[in-house]
Amino acid sequence: MNSPELVQLMKKRAEAVQACVSVVKGFDDIAAYTADLTKKQGGKTIAATGLDAAEYEILGLICESAGLTLLAPPFRNHARNIHTSLTVAGWGIADTGSLVIDSSSEDVRIATMLPETHIAILPAEKIKPDPEALAGELDRILKADTPAYMAFITGASRTADIERVLAIGVHGPRELHILIVEDHHA
Amino acid sequence: MIKTAQDIKSYKRQLKEALGDRFLRKALDNFNTAYRENRPHVYQGIDFEGIRDEIAAGKDAGLPHLKKMFEEFKVHAEAAGTKVHMAKDALQANEIIARIAREGGVERIIKAKSMTAEETFLNHHLEKTGFEVTETDLGEWIIQLRREGPSHMVMPAIHLSRYQVGDLFETVTREKQDSEDIDKLVKVARKSLRSVFLEADMGISGANFALADSGVLGLVTNEGNMRLVTTLPRIHVALVGYDKLIPNLQSALRILKVLPRNATGQAITSYVTWIKGTNPCLSAPSAHKEMHVVFLDNGRLSLAEDPVFSEALRCIRCGACANVCPIYSKVGGHKYGHVYIGAIGLILTLFYHGSENDRAIVQNCINCQACKSVCPVDIDLPHLIKKTYRAVMDQERQTPVKNVVLSKVMKNRKLFHFILRKAYLAQKPFSKNRPMIRHLPHFFEKKHGFRSLPVIARTPLRDQWKPLSPAVARPEYTIGFFVGCAIDFIYPEQGRALPALLGGHNVQVGFPMDQTCCGLPALMAAEEETAREVARQNIRALAPQKYDYILTLCASCASHLKHNYPKIFKQDPDPPIGLGEFTDKIIDFSSFLVNVLNVSPKAFKRTGKKVAYHSPCHLCRGLNVVDEPRQLIERAGHTYVPSKDEDVCCGFGGSYSVDFPEISSAILNKKLDNIEAADADLLVTDCPGCVIQLRGGMDKRDGRIEVKHLSEALADQLTTDDSQR
Ligand code: SF4
Ligand code: SF4
Repeated sequence: MNSPELVQLMKKRAEAVQACVSVVKGFDDIAAYTADLTKKQGGKTIAATGLDAAEYEILGLICESAGLTLLAPPFRNHARNIHTSLTVAGWGIADTGSLVIDSSSEDVRIATMLPETHIAILPAEKIKPDPEALAGELDRILKADTPAYMAFITGASRTADIERVLAIGVHGPRELHILIVEDHHA
Repeated sequence: MIKTAQDIKSYKRQLKEALGDRFLRKALDNFNTAYRENRPHVYQGIDFEGIRDEIAAGKDAGLPHLKKMFEEFKVHAEAAGTKVHMAKDALQANEIIARIAREGGVERIIKAKSMTAEETFLNHHLEKTGFEVTETDLGEWIIQLRREGPSHMVMPAIHLSRYQVGDLFETVTREKQDSEDIDKLVKVARKSLRSVFLEADMGISGANFALADSGVLGLVTNEGNMRLVTTLPRIHVALVGYDKLIPNLQSALRILKVLPRNATGQAITSYVTWIKGTNPCLSAPSAHKEMHVVFLDNGRLSLAEDPVFSEALRCIRCGACANVCPIYSKVGGHKYGHVYIGAIGLILTLFYHGSENDRAIVQNCINCQACKSVCPVDIDLPHLIKKTYRAVMDQERQTPVKNVVLSKVMKNRKLFHFILRKAYLAQKPFSKNRPMIRHLPHFFEKKHGFRSLPVIARTPLRDQWKPLSPAVARPEYTIGFFVGCAIDFIYPEQGRALPALLGGHNVQVGFPMDQTCCGLPALMAAEEETAREVARQNIRALAPQKYDYILTLCASCASHLKHNYPKIFKQDPDPPIGLGEFTDKIIDFSSFLVNVLNVSPKAFKRTGKKVAYHSPCHLCRGLNVVDEPRQLIERAGHTYVPSKDEDVCCGFGGSYSVDFPEISSAILNKKLDNIEAADADLLVTDCPGCVIQLRGGMDKRDGRIEVKHLSEALADQLTTDDSQR
């Protein structure tokens, strides 16, 4: 499968589990998307991880102009108060529409778990067809003699514990947005 | 608290109560149907059998090396800061965890869902020791608040309605709840538990995988609570059964292909998390989490060495064996297991929670094979359930009188057949010369009166046979007819149809008179020794070298002869000569007529009568025969009309329907409702046992649909012109 096909499959499978997927051009789009969505949902705060200094700056400016607060780490201090998070996924798995996010940093974990809405940036070239295609790289990380916390995230948090009726957004984020970007850090 | 019946009498009382729970019945019946209907979609494009066999082989290869894998895991986990503990039993595991909490100055504990913690009754222990414990998985939280055990391994609160949950939440929050709206109820849990997450000192989880070559735990979840439990508090303890040890990530990814699909119909769950060592954690004094993994033995290590039962350790806790079980769907998990529920629960209870908790429930399996057909690790669940029943009796040195009598009678063919012949006379006062007994003596009627019973035939088939099946000069096929008790002594007409149908096909049929019961009833009563004895008699009587095929019209006999005979002699140092040839030659009626003789539609009148089909458990799952009977219905000039749940058990199960009449009747009634809804004129099946059940039930409800064995239904349609065949 070539890259456009993987992007399409990733989109299809992630949407099948209620994720919102968009293909975007660059970080300006991402920052605008994040601020707009937060405003639309009536949120006030954004927690961002994994951005480089320039990106962080751009996001800060946009937040400021939109009247939103870009939260400073550590996010544990804002645990009750994170509306949106913006994170960067290490890989995508097209077959299941999953994100793979190295979450050994506590801030990444909190950012992917506690907010109402989680927005993840996924570089297009990091989309793999299936988990097996990622096994080698994952294995290297997991086998190192250091702590690790790797997460496959697929859609928003969900339950069917009451009468087997599907309900979205139990303890984790209620919405997952995936922004597939063609030339991230290009 | 869990109160599992410890004797059959109180168990039956509990079952009756459960059968009366209308919400439960409806919810679980719908679930059973929905699960089975959804399954093909979920597995589209996936080679279920292939992956299943690979996982089973992988698990089996690992079981002899659990201790080695544990050591390997320990080295890698410790290198990343994890403390690894071993607990020989439940109490020790609980004590280790309580000690970790005490030493860590813990007050509040949050938990993610863990069947292993349910197994050790960990919450109870920790609460007793003075800790505050909160379950955070929605279903687990609900049952914790209700002080109940889980009724399903994946959906612990599946037995409750939204209204029951709403009422419960009203008590907890002291606020009015809108029970109609499940989304809102879910939000109650989100809101109520947020602070609990943030204030806890210690988090406890289970794990789905423990990867030996890296010391990593793999957790497969949906709600997100497990991620919070393993992130926010400063201490994380994982309680993990030794059976969760697997060699590496590859083995885990293979299991991950089927676990979510089988459990919840998802290609993957929302979260699959791989955790190793002391990850950063700002609430810990060192800014790194304290991480513990407690491995629980509790009988697993010796189970792993058991030649028969080690297979049970392959279980990946998907819960599917309950989802498809017709009995689970009638009585629910609280009455179909102890802590572990469903088919695997009937087995594991003996090993993890003692014979006293298994002795009643283990008898409640109708042997329909539904669980086995969906198990993603290929555990022969129905077979192991009977083995477990035997082990319970052996451990307790108690064999029911009915078992003693059954064994004595069955081992002696002449005595057995003598009794059957006498039964014809004994039943006369009740049958009043009609083909069915509609009313049983008063003391039986209440429970067992849900179906009319067939009468024993005046002349068994064996006494009628000779003139029916003349010698064929140059036969194309020579077959041995294994008739089975039900056709021989109750429904000879089903057997009489056979020579009629074979006429013109050049088939020589032999009917060895020394054949006896196939032995399935003995195996169902866990009397394997008796089952072996009659198997020897049958193999000797049938002398397989004489025949091209050994044909039977009874699906249960066929699958027992073919698949159980090798199993019951597996550990026998002296298996009967010809066993392999015998089992190879077993063929069922439909497969013989369609695949061997290829009977032509021209041999039958075309009436177009609407015919529904009941697919016997032991044919469709036991022998994988699915299309042939339906083809025969069409070839015989009928119109086959599909009905709902065609391959779900009819509730007969031989002595099962006598031991558990209320459940048998509940299963039967659903079946008959489905058939009636299909608007057929005739219902056919190819197992005389199913005919007993279905015809008896139809008669009792004064239904208009006739019930016949496929052989009779075909013979009725034969044209008189032999040259057509
Ligand atoms: S064989 Fe049938 S009745 Fe027995 S446990 Fe399995 S599904 Fe249930
Ligand atoms: S026995 Fe098989 S079907 Fe039942 S829970 Fe275990 S893995 Fe699933």
